[in-house]
Amino acid sequence: MNRSRAILNKIAWAIFTILFVIVLNFFLFRILPGDPARAGMKDPRLKQEAIEALQVRFGLDKPVINCFDSLNPIKIGNCNVNPLETQFFIYVGNLLKGDFGISYDTNRPVSEMLSERLWNTILLIGLGQILSIFLGMALGIWGAWKARTWIDYGTSTLSLIFWSLPTFWLGIVLLFWGSANGFPIGGKITPGMSSFPLLQQWGDVIWHMFLPTLTYTLIFMGEYTLIMRSSLVDVLSEDYILTAKAKGLSAFQILKDHALQNAMLPMVTVIALNLGFTVAGAIQIESVFSWPGLGSAVFEAVERRDYPVLQGVFILIAVAVILANLLADLTYSYLDPRVQVE
Amino acid sequence: MQTTFQSTATNQTDASTLLGFWQSFKKSRTGMMGLSMITFVIVLAVFAPIIAPYDQSSTINVSIADIYQPPSASHWFGTDDAGQDVFSNFVYGARISITVGFFAAIISILIGGSFGLLAGFFGGRWETSLMRFTDIMLVIPDLPLTIVIVALTKPSLLNIIIVIGLLGWTTTARVVRSQTLAVKSRKFILRARAIGASKSHIVFNHVLPLVMPILVVQGVLVISLAILNESTLSFIGLGDPSTLSWGQMLNYAFARGAMSSGAWWALTVPGFGIVFIVFGLTLLGQGLEQVLNPRTDTHHLLATKPAVRHEARLQPNQTDAILSVQDLSIHYISNTQAPAKAVENVSFNLKEGELLGLVGESGCGKTTLMLALLRLLPAAGQIVNGKVFYKGKDLTALSEDELNAIRWRGISIVFQGAMNALNPVRTVGDQIAETVLKHEPKFPKENIPARVTQLLELVGITADQRDHFPHQYSGGMRQRAMIAMALACNPDVIIADEPTTALDVMIQAQILELLDSLRKKLGLSVIFVTHDLGIVAELCDKVLVMYGGVTAEYADVDTIYNDPKHPYTQELLKAFPDLTKPKKKLSSIPGYPPRLDNLPAGCRFAPRCPAAFDRCHTEQPALHSIGNNNHIASCHLVEASK
Repeated sequence: MNRSRAILNKIAWAIFTILFVIVLNFFLFRILPGDPARAGMKDPRLKQEAIEALQVRFGLDKPVINCFDSLNPIKIGNCNVNPLETQFFIYVGNLLKGDFGISYDTNRPVSEMLSERLWNTILLIGLGQILSIFLGMALGIWGAWKARTWIDYGTSTLSLIFWSLPTFWLGIVLLFWGSANGFPIGGKITPGMSSFPLLQQWGDVIWHMFLPTLTYTLIFMGEYTLIMRSSLVDVLSEDYILTAKAKGLSAFQILKDHALQNAMLPMVTVIALNLGFTVAGAIQIESVFSWPGLGSAVFEAVERRDYPVLQGVFILIAVAVILANLLADLTYSYLDPRVQVE
Repeated sequence: MQTTFQSTATNQTDASTLLGFWQSFKKSRTGMMGLSMITFVIVLAVFAPIIAPYDQSSTINVSIADIYQPPSASHWFGTDDAGQDVFSNFVYGARISITVGFFAAIISILIGGSFGLLAGFFGGRWETSLMRFTDIMLVIPDLPLTIVIVALTKPSLLNIIIVIGLLGWTTTARVVRSQTLAVKSRKFILRARAIGASKSHIVFNHVLPLVMPILVVQGVLVISLAILNESTLSFIGLGDPSTLSWGQMLNYAFARGAMSSGAWWALTVPGFGIVFIVFGLTLLGQGLEQVLNPRTDTHHLLATKPAVRHEARLQPNQTDAILSVQDLSIHYISNTQAPAKAVENVSFNLKEGELLGLVGESGCGKTTLMLALLRLLPAAGQIVNGKVFYKGKDLTALSEDELNAIRWRGISIVFQGAMNALNPVRTVGDQIAETVLKHEPKFPKENIPARVTQLLELVGITADQRDHFPHQYSGGMRQRAMIAMALACNPDVIIADEPTTALDVMIQAQILELLDSLRKKLGLSVIFVTHDLGIVAELCDKVLVMYGGVTAEYADVDTIYNDPKHPYTQELLKAFPDLTKPKKKLSSIPGYPPRLDNLPAGCRFAPRCPAAFDRCHTEQPALHSIGNNNHIASCHLVEASK
């Protein structure tokens, strides 16, 4: 398979996966019990007109999909419907237009609520990922370099402990410590700061970001350290490293020119596979530090049973992870010349 | 490259029986530590009613004053937002963590295990569709999906277990599939298929037992992830309200003012529980992994200082020798096993323009000896005795930097089986240019590509292939590229470790001719490690025959062929066709060379030697000079005939 075909293949799979997520997302919210819009409509105190008005508002007056009865999924429903008039196609159409529905809680469009928060999450995850990848790689390289010394055992044990920490708990502990030491207890900016000069506002945001970013970095650093270390030790045991050594290259030259690029390959895969955990980390950290991002939106939506928001965040997160995964995949084939001719 | 010896294989076979598995697991400190941590939590969970000082229903009689009480004699870890004893809740919380982890993992392992087995064993469409599905599920972030599903259903413990279990199988499926693929092609399974055993019989009786260990390791990891997921769900507010898991305790404390009341005990204690069990499981998993997949890394960059006993009497004894090896002994030293005596008391001299043949079966220490000359052995392989003189300098005593100046510039190596000897992510030309840049810093940079092209053409590789990657080369081309690389800095000595084994006869002849002409033209000295006695007879000046790590015989090539004294040399020659005596019967030497970590007491060749007598089995023969002092053999027969 040549390079461009392989890339097209990967892109096609990413698109297919996104479609799968959309279908999954739609039906999860239709099949599983617990949607208050539907539950609320069974309230005997509601008048018929009120129920119909609610149904129209949430698009529930249309059939879910051809031959499907949302109230009784086992029964075959009405099949004589224009497919484009079903809830499913309306939902997909709306998604493509960027319409994620309306929040039960705030009555605002979900897309509007989430777009504010998306950038905050990207800021937090981005910074945290960059820091944890760099620190993790540095520690991993150091451990592999000094393999079987106390430096190696120390960094590995520490990494295992960080790996085992529940993210939210580390957040709680750091918040507890930080709040006693003058750090802000949450949010993105001190209320009332918006009238201050921009530079000062930015300083305040960085001050607020310190603890969440620290939590994020520590949690992910451990795994990256472990992966980098074992990957580098594997590479350093390879025959071509022996060749490089026989060539008279110094240990530093071997590391820089022969080992690192090869050791990076598994790192890229792990970073890609970790994107899901990244999101999980963001949900917990943002909830603890009330950082106004997508993660805390999940937390609040669960608390308030705000399903359109939950549905919207899920689709946004899933698509972002799938796309980031695709990006990592393409990076991998760029780093490893062997992938081209597979 | 065989730089390690074959003693690690034993661990693998031991691990296949349960008792053997336990024996090797006991040695893993990480694993035992993890196991004891998990046992501790299990004891806590099982005996919770006995250990916990307070009953879980003790909320009934609390007053406001009982809320968030700091640790005291009556409440070791203080009280929580409901005035309950944190320590008691902590002990009971272990039950929930273990229940969730265990049952969710069973679901995940069952799904992942059967998907992996089916896909790996049956292949074809099954495999494609199952693995595509796995890949899709792997990409979808599981915590958000878990949250969505639990939020839409009832957050009961049972629901949580099922959802976590249903979403946690993807990595297991992948791991099991690749293990099944590996197992499927083993001989006894192929045999079982050939005699017509039913597929289900093969899967359950032959494949599953071999996949089981991987499933166990995977299970341990899945348990820890399930526990982490449960605590996160509880913290988000999706925990079962009727139970008090560690996550739930943290949720209540965090949401109900522990932070502002400064009740650190309510915020930390449950967290320690989660960290303790997850860390324990991780250690256990690592320990199991170590036993099941013992890795022998040969880490080439660990600092190695030869542990030589410096003996003053060793001086370069032949002034015209460019390389003089004296009394060299190399042992593989490990903490757990007796040292493997890979090479013992080997000496030889190499003159300018001389071609020395190093002969012997595989596993006789030839490669170890060659790598040791430039101190290229992994950390375990240590020079314990002897010296290596190159142009009068003792290589065993040089610093790493001084040695780097001699490596490749003075002595270069063509490695055996160049499949992995070239870096896969850099072009071949680039890797050759690197040596010139390193050792000839004054070489004009703009001329380097031309020099590389010239070197490659010397070994029959065209200029347009210079910038290709190693994987674009055939095996033979890689071998030839290695030879070009070895010549790049015009070294004085080339060590060629079976350089032509992977090549076809034509190329082989070309390479040999090339080495021979360079030797004559440039005065290049060559050490040629080979099995091929024909090449030795044709090219070499001197021959060193090694057996089991020691010199069997060392002499010039005519003496070796016409007057071999050591029975091993004689047997080797009998095993090689001689064109001048076409009717002579070829014979092979029965048996194998000894394992270097388990050498016979007397002569190392004695167990296979046709001429062995009693003394050979008890006493190791010394090196004896025969006639003129250029012929040496280590055999009791030689001493007796003197």
